[in-house]
Amino acid sequence: MRQWLLLLLLIFCWMAAGFAFFDGAETRESAGAALPKDVQRIVSLAPNLTEILFALGLDEQIAGVTIFSDYPPAAMKKRKIGSFWQPNIEAVIAAKPDLVVTLEFPQQKEAARRLRRLGCNCLTVNIEKVGDLFEAIDRIAEATGKDAEAAELASNLRSRLDVLSASAAKYERAKVLWVIAREPLRVAGRDTFVNELIELAGGENAIGRTVHKYPPIGSEQVIASAPDVIIEPAMGSKTVSEQQKEALRYWSRFKNVPAVANGRIYVISPDTVCRLGPRLHQGVETVARCLRPQLFAD
Amino acid sequence: MVEMSGIIEVENVSFGYTRQSTVLEDVSFAVAPGTFLAIAGPNGAGKTTLLNLLCGAAKPRTGRITIDSAPVESYTTAALAEKIAVVRQGFVPMFGFSVVETVMMARTEHFGAMGFESKADRQIVNEALELTETAQFASRPIGSLSAGERQRVFIARALAQQTDVLLLDEPTSFLDLKHQVGIYDLLKAAQVDKRRTVIAVTHEINLATQYCEQALLLGADGSSLFGDTAEVLSAEHIEKVFAVAVFAGRIGKEKFFIPIGRFAKDKTISL
Amino acid sequence: MTEILTPNKLIVRIAWALLLLLAVMFVCSLIGTERISLKAVFAGDEAGSAVNPDYEIFVRVRIPRIVLGAIVGAALACSGVVFQALLRNPLADPYILGISSGAGLGAMIAVLVGLNSAVFGRSPIAVFAFAGAMGTVWLVWFIGRLTGKFHLTGLLLAGVVVNAFFSAVIMFLTSVARSDEVYGTMFWLMGNMAEEDFLVVWTAGGCVAAGIAALFYLGPQLNALSFGEDDARSIGVNTGRTRTTAFAIAAFMTAIAVSISGLVGFVGLIVPHAVRLVLGPDHRQLLPLSAIFGAIFLVAADTLARIVVAPAQLPVGVVTAIAGGPFFLLLLVRYSKKVGWSK
Repeated sequence: MRQWLLLLLLIFCWMAAGFAFFDGAETRESAGAALPKDVQRIVSLAPNLTEILFALGLDEQIAGVTIFSDYPPAAMKKRKIGSFWQPNIEAVIAAKPDLVVTLEFPQQKEAARRLRRLGCNCLTVNIEKVGDLFEAIDRIAEATGKDAEAAELASNLRSRLDVLSASAAKYERAKVLWVIAREPLRVAGRDTFVNELIELAGGENAIGRTVHKYPPIGSEQVIASAPDVIIEPAMGSKTVSEQQKEALRYWSRFKNVPAVANGRIYVISPDTVCRLGPRLHQGVETVARCLRPQLFAD
Repeated sequence: MVEMSGIIEVENVSFGYTRQSTVLEDVSFAVAPGTFLAIAGPNGAGKTTLLNLLCGAAKPRTGRITIDSAPVESYTTAALAEKIAVVRQGFVPMFGFSVVETVMMARTEHFGAMGFESKADRQIVNEALELTETAQFASRPIGSLSAGERQRVFIARALAQQTDVLLLDEPTSFLDLKHQVGIYDLLKAAQVDKRRTVIAVTHEINLATQYCEQALLLGADGSSLFGDTAEVLSAEHIEKVFAVAVFAGRIGKEKFFIPIGRFAKDKTISL
Repeated sequence: MTEILTPNKLIVRIAWALLLLLAVMFVCSLIGTERISLKAVFAGDEAGSAVNPDYEIFVRVRIPRIVLGAIVGAALACSGVVFQALLRNPLADPYILGISSGAGLGAMIAVLVGLNSAVFGRSPIAVFAFAGAMGTVWLVWFIGRLTGKFHLTGLLLAGVVVNAFFSAVIMFLTSVARSDEVYGTMFWLMGNMAEEDFLVVWTAGGCVAAGIAALFYLGPQLNALSFGEDDARSIGVNTGRTRTTAFAIAAFMTAIAVSISGLVGFVGLIVPHAVRLVLGPDHRQLLPLSAIFGAIFLVAADTLARIVVAPAQLPVGVVTAIAGGPFFLLLLVRYSKKVGWSK
């Protein structure tokens, strides 16, 4: 019995010592954001953030990007600091950033928390919808002193989107099924930015409101939704044309679906439609080409 | 009322595993210190049950059991282990302890603060190994011994516990003739040389007759008969309790009993 | 294994093992995706006007992560020993009684509820995982006791059923959650080491060290329990109290480990067996040495996890299984004759 009490006493002393010693002494919260003009080294933890930084003219200041930041081509020459899902904290610190820009979903929030604890200045932006994108551009510009460039970028983007929407308005809205995975079958629902892309391009999501953002659906729903167009962003290492062949083979079983009957199945390159960034207008245009191919005859 | 005085006293104990059944009915006896007691009876008579009651693993429905003048329930596990050492049947080979490690476990409650044995403990264990003639296996894993050798190791462990009482459950089942006699010799030596009280549940009527002064005969109907071996283990009692024909013989001072079945070559033996 | 354990032998072995652990920890702290120069580290916190990245990485990222790896490895290996002893089952590991699914469910709930702020300065996932683990263990223990006091099979079955039930709940939540939330939880569940505050490291280290010391104290009792409940009791061991205490401590240590690193498999199952094969089954030795070798194993595995597919990181549970498996099979072949399993 005595030994147990002694052990408890020891634990208590240990804990007390820990709290006395370490509480506050070692944690270094970032001392506040650096002034915009002092931001000389920026690390981006997502490909779309990288694109935004380049679009704002911050090429020189970018000190680190994720491994899949492949646009613009200059980004590929930048130092790599891990992936978008798993940023490498050590690499980020080694890049000596004045500012780290992250997104808001759990993985990145955790990384931001760790970086802040280590004294890095982090800016977390949420880019889930098209509206968020403009807001994010503003916030990043504010932190880096590029307000003028941001205004220009935003207005350019808006005007291009307006042009596309205007041309789309003349036509009937085609029903689009946006397929992100085939086995099991998963599609983009209405509460996603993909849906906004579809609508901006003049289409309508074949799937109605769902609980999930990217619901798995069954064959019944495919047939019931009767899409006019099926769009699949290409994924993985196979070429787009290979994937197109596979897609046609897969969908041939749904002979009664209008999209299949009319041969309107499109596998598209994912760069501009899976990433919500400054090339948004290109994404919308790509979708528009699928909806009204006759108008874009090159 | 029988006068009760003994290291173990059982008074009017009844026990059953369920409400309806009764395995032991009003059993009473007292074991004098330094006795070698045999508990015999047919299967299901309650021998192992009685053993469990004696070492506190089960509680009697009625009556009470006292060890060294204190009721069994009043002992803590550790205190009871200082009075009674139990050697059970069966062995679950698990993680490969050696013989000496196994026997040393008997001294667990006496280990020092850091959990290690003292010189005195080592002495006791060595003695026990010598007594049971298992010292030559000391370093071998216990799972690698034969059944007979293993049984001796467990008895060594019980001896190393240095208790007044040794309880054994069928110590010679699965052993060959030589080992049967060897074990009983060992137990007798413990009784005579070390002045322990030995209580053995056994099927070996003849060995019990040879070695034990006292016997308790349990019947399948819950009955019990306690007393000197010569009186309790008689042909008449054995025939009645075991429900089998028995031939009782005598060679010199040793009595023996042989069960007689339907195919015995000569049914009319007489000596 | 052939001679009985003495205090001197034990102390010598622990000393060597600790030395090895320190050496491994030191070497691993110098390995990583970024090259660090020790000289630069010693230059101190701020070299000139800027923050010294070598110092930051070494002192505030690598060292805490490595120390945490050692703590988690020690906790898991030590509880593995205890569960194998209590359940008398060589297939037992720290997660067998529902801790894995309980922790997973706790983590999932934390993610789904969308807790943003830190709880006690720790990420909410960690705290909820800890609570889930402890709660589930209590539940399994409670159900197991209903089947009859310390009835082993009942306890194991209760653990299996609770595990299955909670796993199903996790699957259900997975299917209704957003994909990024799901990915986050799955990723956490696969077992990952990350650096933490010094206070967290200090506290976890203290708890685990205390747990190991307490279990060491129960070593002789655990030895006796290896022969069965009845045997142990007739030797004088209070089996009920030993079981409950050892179980509670082991569960607590496992819950701490899980809250730090997610579910790292293999360590708690294999390290006890490996140490037992080479050095014998005496728990007074098995407990401290399994802890130390568990620590060494996990620190090494985590280092591999950090560099093998750099700049990405493997979940450390993947490395423990892939690296540990063949190594253990080697040990098994070499040493099983010694134990007398093969006759």
